[in-house]
Amino acid sequence: MKNIRLLILTALLLVSCRTLPTINPVLPQAEPKAATCPSVFLQEPYRLIHAIEFRLAGNTGGAIIGVTVADPATRFVSCAIMTVEGLVLFEAEAGSSLKIVRALAPFDSPELAENLIEDIRLIFFAPRGNIHAKGVLPDGAAICRWREKSGDWIDVIARRAEGMEINKYSSWNNWKRRIRLSSAEEHIYRNIELTAQETFNYSLRMTLIEAETLAGSSKK
Amino acid sequence: MKKIPLILLSLLLFVLLPLYTYADDFAQLRKDAASIKTVQAAFVQKKIMKILSRPLVSEGRFFYAAPDSFRWEYLKPVKSIVLSGKGEAKRYIMSQGKMVEDKSGGVQAMRIVLGEVVNWMSGKFDLNPSFQAAVTEGKNTLITLVPVERNMAGMIEKIEISVVKKSMAIKSVRIIESENAATIIDFSHVEINKAVNASVFQDVE
Repeated sequence: MKNIRLLILTALLLVSCRTLPTINPVLPQAEPKAATCPSVFLQEPYRLIHAIEFRLAGNTGGAIIGVTVADPATRFVSCAIMTVEGLVLFEAEAGSSLKIVRALAPFDSPELAENLIEDIRLIFFAPRGNIHAKGVLPDGAAICRWREKSGDWIDVIARRAEGMEINKYSSWNNWKRRIRLSSAEEHIYRNIELTAQETFNYSLRMTLIEAETLAGSSKK
Repeated sequence: MKKIPLILLSLLLFVLLPLYTYADDFAQLRKDAASIKTVQAAFVQKKIMKILSRPLVSEGRFFYAAPDSFRWEYLKPVKSIVLSGKGEAKRYIMSQGKMVEDKSGGVQAMRIVLGEVVNWMSGKFDLNPSFQAAVTEGKNTLITLVPVERNMAGMIEKIEISVVKKSMAIKSVRIIESENAATIIDFSHVEINKAVNASVFQDVE
């Protein structure tokens, strides 16, 4: 009986500690697209408004509206979260530093604010580090792997049917985030699903309400 | 999530309060309140913020039936419904194509809000210390509500309600949150004491 418990515990640990998948190199002439990194990130400043359904620790959370202004050139992010009724719960700007304009409970913890900005940057901005590897996963999906200066790993994966996926792992190779984006036929940010593994796990299901380019505007 | 229902409380106040404020004193308000059995209206909500290039527009509808049933519903861009009756309040949100109950803590806090709504429906505005009210007569009647509780500081600076004088129909509401943020709600098709089917307060679809 003791051995069975140990086996179950080991199995659970293996499942919960997802680590970096193996990348198989491909010959560019065999699959030219696999040699090019999937393009999922903003190329110019954008304002995006999403309806967001959030879940905390697996339970249904609620519905909110998120507004994001993001400039990939400067990595400046401005964001606001409001209730459906219009009450602004959180508003912040982040360039080289984070400035919280407004934060009401439960959005009033500094840790949450930092995570939120990091999540936005992970979704919309290309990683800052170097490309460490590119190739294909065992299931045939094209993948590019970045290593950030912090030591974190970021995988960007293109799957033909399911669309794009971004995975973030810690410097210890432990999985931290998974972001799934719409398939290529639609606006890439029409549907975004984010799953986070933190002290308190959470997930977001985002549906695009509005998107517009902010041509000519760039903020530091 | 405890503070979320505060905005809902304010929204309900916008619809219900103007029906009474034309009177001179609270005793008259309580007397007038007895004649109101139902209220229904459509609304367009415009959210103004510095981060938005143009107002974010939401549309919905509102129903009330005495003594304590109401439905506050957003039809777009995010479908959401709050249903209340007999001291129970439930919020529903659209999730993967169907309406599901919102299990966040805000629903619990809504029960406290409902107690206040029932007070207002009885014309007992003088019992609620949360707002200081002032009435200005002009082309329309303008009611200004200023929160007096410290815990509302930083959430709502003031609320301005415009009511058409003769018909007593609510015209618009402005919730001023800060120098750069406001919510404006324009009401239309306001109907008082028109029959409302009981299912409106029970069915989410």
